[in-house]
Amino acid sequence: MNALVRNLRVVRRMTAADIAQQSVYRGAWIIFMLANICMPIISLLIWRTALASGAQLPVDERYITTYFVLLGVVTMATSSWMAGFLAQDIRLGKLSSWMIRPASLLAGFVANNLSEKFLKLFALVPMIGIVWWIFRDSMNIPAGPGRWALFAISILLGAMLVFTIDILIASLAFWMDDVSALVQARVIIASVLSGSVVPLALMPEWSRGFVDHQPFRYTVSFPVEIVAGQLTGPELLAGLGFQLGYVVVFAAITRLVWSAGIRAYSAVGA
Amino acid sequence: MSTLDRTWWHKQWRHLRLWRRFFAQAVVRETHFRAHFLTTLLVGLVQLGLGIVPTLLLFGFTAELHGWSRAEVIALVGVFQIVTGLMATFVAPNLNRMTTYLTEGELDGVLLRPVSSQFYLTLRWINVAELTNVASGVAVLVIGLVQADLSPGAGQIVQAVVLVGTGLVLLTAVWSAMSFLAFWLQSVNPIGFVFLNLMEAGRYPLVFFPVAVRTFLTFAFPVAFATTFPVRALAGDLGWGTVGVGVGLAVVAMLLVRLLWRRGLLTYSSASS
Repeated sequence: MNALVRNLRVVRRMTAADIAQQSVYRGAWIIFMLANICMPIISLLIWRTALASGAQLPVDERYITTYFVLLGVVTMATSSWMAGFLAQDIRLGKLSSWMIRPASLLAGFVANNLSEKFLKLFALVPMIGIVWWIFRDSMNIPAGPGRWALFAISILLGAMLVFTIDILIASLAFWMDDVSALVQARVIIASVLSGSVVPLALMPEWSRGFVDHQPFRYTVSFPVEIVAGQLTGPELLAGLGFQLGYVVVFAAITRLVWSAGIRAYSAVGA
Repeated sequence: MSTLDRTWWHKQWRHLRLWRRFFAQAVVRETHFRAHFLTTLLVGLVQLGLGIVPTLLLFGFTAELHGWSRAEVIALVGVFQIVTGLMATFVAPNLNRMTTYLTEGELDGVLLRPVSSQFYLTLRWINVAELTNVASGVAVLVIGLVQADLSPGAGQIVQAVVLVGTGLVLLTAVWSAMSFLAFWLQSVNPIGFVFLNLMEAGRYPLVFFPVAVRTFLTFAFPVAFATTFPVRALAGDLGWGTVGVGVGLAVVAMLLVRLLWRRGLLTYSSASS
């Protein structure tokens, strides 16, 4: 318990320091977020056109609109970009300098993740606000704070899931020379399976069983579905259960692989 | 004009010869990194496959959208792949370095060379492996055209090729202009992301977008000239008027970018001095 409290304190201090440091590049964050909402807006316009000209979609205009407007926030909030950096630290032996510090090796990465998201949020929220306002007539806004609370919880779980998967891929660098192809593969596969290119609700009937239960759905699509609204009460609970289950399973696997990797780790000079 | 060249034409000819050397060097370089060639090929194919997913899903719900059939949109995805492949081969490796050129002072070394600095900065580096994506784009285009039962004549093919050319020039001009903002902003790496994300709009025919967005995608971010218009030319429903407008816009865009470059250079004060 003591170790946990200490780690949390370290993460908090490092996050604050990171925010101060990163806010120097606030202009860059705004431009980054501008790039981030391009794709959802393009997809939104295309699917609305399809609906307007009579395409028979399994979801209505309100679902599509809410989905793509919120998509940018959720992909940003659950993203993780550490794998390449962590793998590099492992390969070049930089991990050694973290191992002798009195906090978790991952504290730096957690702080980096939190601080960048904090700053990105400031850039992103006004942009999403504008898009929301433009499409306000066809947005699904759930009544009551219940759904929004679940939305927040689900984003948190999704972020943990992506972060864990990212560590898992990076820890393969303990044995492999180059994991960049794996990192790229994860990004490409996840972009389709997580629902960030096309809503999973539009996937063909034959793929339903697989698409609805694979882990990537719980990294982006599921949180958005909570607000965009098609989920019934039992479906919601089951989904959250699945999400929590995936976080626990991946955390366990990652922990195993990571600790095996640390034992195999031999840096130059260590 | 430098004393190296007797006339303006000699100068262009010299730059063309130089560019041929750049290309030859890039090919030799690529043969040293065969794994890079293979991963670029594989990643390109996977991205092409996944990039077609939204189109296929879309036409699972409707047979035709605003006069475009599924086969025609597949042909359009092929053209998109060709254009993005060409940009990734010849332009991206250069404009992605823009920030480094300015912040590390590498521009000093470029300015000292007896070549047009803008030419050198925009076209010096070539990523040959990306040409595989152009090849796969041609394959997808042919598949789309065959499925759509289109057999364009020579005139239509000329129209399409000229339009793709103007589209490339226009998009390069826009990206260059965005990158040259580095003179005033210092770091422009994120601007490259905005460009690439906006490019994605070129995966779909122009008429799939609302009218205001169509204007934006034709004149401000002219991706329409690179993908929609060439395919319409191949389908035979585009006159030479559009081709003329495209060429005119391309010339204007080049002049404007040239002007912006000159203005930017005036503000450059080297990174070391």
